Amino acid sequence: MNDKTTWEFGTRQVVYGAIGAALYGVFSWATNIFPLPAAGNITFRPAVAVLIFFGAAYGPWVGLLAGVIGNTLGDALSGWGFFWNWSLGNGLMGMVPGLIMASLNDFKARPQIMKAIGWGTLGIVVGMLFASLTEMFTGGIDLNTALVGYFTPAVIGNVIVTAILLPILMIAFAGVAARRGR
Amino acid sequence: MLVTWKYRPRNTFIQSLDPRTRLILLACITLALTVPEIWDYRIIFPLFILSLTLYLMARIEWKDVRRAFIFIFILVFFIVGLNGLLSGRGGPSSVLDPNSPILFNVPFMIPGTDWGWMVPVTVSKAWFAINQMTRMISMAILAIPIPYTMDPNIYGTAFKRMGASDKVSFTMDLAFRFLPTFARDLTITIDAQRARGYEMDKLKGGLVARIRRLAPLVIPVTMQSTVTGEEVVDAMDLRAFGTAPRTWLKDLKYAPRDYFIIGLGVAIFITCCVLKWGFGIGGFFVPDFFTNALVG
Repeated sequence: MNDKTTWEFGTRQVVYGAIGAALYGVFSWATNIFPLPAAGNITFRPAVAVLIFFGAAYGPWVGLLAGVIGNTLGDALSGWGFFWNWSLGNGLMGMVPGLIMASLNDFKARPQIMKAIGWGTLGIVVGMLFASLTEMFTGGIDLNTALVGYFTPAVIGNVIVTAILLPILMIAFAGVAARRGR
Repeated sequence: MLVTWKYRPRNTFIQSLDPRTRLILLACITLALTVPEIWDYRIIFPLFILSLTLYLMARIEWKDVRRAFIFIFILVFFIVGLNGLLSGRGGPSSVLDPNSPILFNVPFMIPGTDWGWMVPVTVSKAWFAINQMTRMISMAILAIPIPYTMDPNIYGTAFKRMGASDKVSFTMDLAFRFLPTFARDLTITIDAQRARGYEMDKLKGGLVARIRRLAPLVIPVTMQSTVTGEEVVDAMDLRAFGTAPRTWLKDLKYAPRDYFIIGLGVAIFITCCVLKWGFGIGGFFVPDFFTNALVG
């Protein structure tokens, strides 16, 4: 998990970090109109699956950059403003599944898909927990609101989206990668 | 293929500013409203006027920004406004003041039964919705002109000159450049799927079915982007990206007007923080004139 490939930050990471950020921003912007129940400023985001996919496919730096920059872009485009803790939380959400990048070599294999979903779920929990708990300091909410009003709906929505769309993305990517030959 | 936003050079004060100045001002006003959690209309409304003035000074043609504004107005008025009006969430807990006069109740009933509940719309929620919408539009109209009035060739230079590393600057630069490309790809994909009978507006079924039916939009755009990425990686590797510190073709220099605008932005941010944390001014409250106007 700590080999050079996983933590490398070269041209590929720069380019795919930017692509992941732009995609996350565009999809977030396009889907910011579905507010999750019980959370006034949390939205239902199918784009989360794309973020987890970029982390798992291209590594932790790509996931981190795509999450931080993409969330900032998506929020800015939608007029939500800038919430550093949620952007960083989204970055963590992309970074954690990136830790298994080196161990994923067959994106069609069911065990590897399940592994990616598992680490993606872990990333969602870590990222949303960070964002929700820091909201106590930035937004002045109490622990109960942070966990029930923010963390829980965000995690449930993101995990559902990831469990449905991530396998489709991985299988499609396996086909694209096979045709490309690398 | 990369496409760009509809950037056009215009002879305006806004475009004469250094790009860093505009990014710093945007950051200052956004942070001034969000970091100290400003919900006081006496601060929000003047900032809205300032943002609107700066937007109008950019002199962007309506046809260029019409779609962006339609989307933002739908989001702000029908989603955020209604959400604020009905739930009062997304802001400070004082919005849900149980002593606030009730204007009317909105019934949410299960069709065919008399089961359900009544959602009270209070004066507090109504004022919060107005503040929330004004606050969001204030930030949005500062951000909207940037892609139309800032040369895409200087995004990277601007971030580099603001202290970011070459790689991070390039990442930001590429992200801004890819954004309109992917937005265009998404629009084309939606049109293409509609031509095949895909009805985006009539996504039937439960939550799972709805998400699954987004795949025909998400997958093609994402997979095409991975192919595009390989071409960009090859092009950058051929130019020896990352092997040594880079030089940047464009140079940026602050003019006196830039110092003035940056000073204004920093002053707004500091003032908001001092007012909120030093004097307790800036929190949410319903002014008497609003309560009197609604309930007499």
